[in-house]
Amino acid sequence: MTSRGFALALFLPALFALILTTTAPLVYLAWTSAMRIELAMPWLSGFARFDNYVKMGGDPRFWHSLALTAVYTATTVVLQVALGLSLALLVLRIPRGQALLRVAAILPIVLAPVVVGLFWRTLVLSPDVGLVDVVTRALGLGSHNWLGDPDLALISVIAIHTWQWTPFAFLVILASLSALPPEVFEAARIDRASAWQRFRHITLPLIRPAIVIVIIMRTMIALSAFAAIFAATGGGPGTATEILNLYAYRTSFSEFNLGYGAALAMVLLAITLAVSFVMFRVRRRKVAS
Amino acid sequence: MTAAKRLRTFALIGVAVLLLAVWAFPVLWALLTSFKTERDVLAYPPTIVFEPTLRNYRDVLFGSASILPNLLSSTIVAGVSTALTLLFAVPAAYALARLEFPGRRASGFYVLATQMLPPVGLIIPYYLALQKVGGLDTYWGLIVIYLTFSLPFAIWLLVSYFEDVPREMEEAALLDRAGRLRALWYVILPQVRGGIAVTTIFVFLNAWNEFLFAVVLGGNRVRPVTVAMFNFISVEQTLWAKLAAGAMLAMAPVILLGLLAQRHIVKGLTVGAVKGGGRT
Repeated sequence: MTSRGFALALFLPALFALILTTTAPLVYLAWTSAMRIELAMPWLSGFARFDNYVKMGGDPRFWHSLALTAVYTATTVVLQVALGLSLALLVLRIPRGQALLRVAAILPIVLAPVVVGLFWRTLVLSPDVGLVDVVTRALGLGSHNWLGDPDLALISVIAIHTWQWTPFAFLVILASLSALPPEVFEAARIDRASAWQRFRHITLPLIRPAIVIVIIMRTMIALSAFAAIFAATGGGPGTATEILNLYAYRTSFSEFNLGYGAALAMVLLAITLAVSFVMFRVRRRKVAS
Repeated sequence: MTAAKRLRTFALIGVAVLLLAVWAFPVLWALLTSFKTERDVLAYPPTIVFEPTLRNYRDVLFGSASILPNLLSSTIVAGVSTALTLLFAVPAAYALARLEFPGRRASGFYVLATQMLPPVGLIIPYYLALQKVGGLDTYWGLIVIYLTFSLPFAIWLLVSYFEDVPREMEEAALLDRAGRLRALWYVILPQVRGGIAVTTIFVFLNAWNEFLFAVVLGGNRVRPVTVAMFNFISVEQTLWAKLAAGAMLAMAPVILLGLLAQRHIVKGLTVGAVKGGGRT
């Protein structure tokens, strides 16, 4: 066998499996989005050309979900990076017990998001007996319906995501910080640079690649967030936490309008691809310069 | 040590303890709750001291709403899909990392791109396709579809391990006229044994935790444990203690695996993005 033949023999099975499970469904999705498929009214099914997309333009619930997706993604990513970075900088200076903290940080990461959503819905955020309510009542801030009040619900699902995934940012940035050679700081210390100057001009540029990786990965994950919100609020109350993922799901599998759901899913895919393309592009330019 | 310095150390330790509390507490609280009676759960202020009971675990395992069948479902789906993933991913990763073939760079990029796909974008075609071929609520249906997210991840993680194998080793093996397949099997694979173990753990963990595909494509027969968690919650009432016990049982395997692989978790989490879209 030629070496090229050998390589292809090893690679092609996986390639075919990937085409079958990812690319073929995408083509099918695009086709479905041009169809009218309502499982509750099968006699209405048929080719609908761009009707689903046209309908989207005048659908306030769609625009609302799009805005929520932007808010949810932006706030969770910013919070994770800001908190993860500050915590990593703090923990780096703790002489002992770092290992224990790493273990604690792993806990939220390995839990299924749906279980995290359920934990928060019951043990943490439920009125009267949830941990947060116990604290706010003890502090005299009163009891709140954290997931039932439309304004609080969005904050709550953002908090849930941030709780589960800040450890990710923390661990990645901490690993990057721990790998820095101590000499770089000594020179600056001799120069009597202030702590802020050392951070701004030495530490930050050195760990920037790690931060960029965190931002890219967390943005992708936030854009595909589903299970934790589904478990905590189901997109509700009303549509208060209905990000695009939840809207596409509810349209398809609660209202059984698969054609329109497919069009919503297409928009979601387009956004994900566009965002990842831009991020990798910007990053590559940064690396090159 | 000056007073100011000592104060700072105390403050740092305070922050560390707070962190531990915030991350570990909900899980420990759930663990505690799982040993309470439903009445103790609803006590205000919450009780730390109570008479522990194993009733919840007994009910969750052997009662009328036992999650044992669901644990079995999860084990089959996650186990078989993990094995299938590795069967495809190990050879593919080796080819991508070490061999020359036409379109290699583009292929690597393709694998990475498929990793970015949001599951909600794929669930509708899967549902329609499986419905047509009678694959809804079957093990094979769910297992095949789990390849969507596990295969790209596994390939990229394994590529990083194959790249660490010194090239001289395979060259030496090839000079011995060992044959490419034998060289791969007897010389290269033993070198990446650790990497394969880590990959297996993460692939299994992701499959075990999966929810969206399981809830839409599963059913009464194939019902992984992540879906079964909703058994304990209904409009009328929430069975707190049983939910906590069920969640503890459902999450015990992934917590153990996570601790087992904790040194590798940063690498496992950032794979793909580190490469920045294709090898350069």
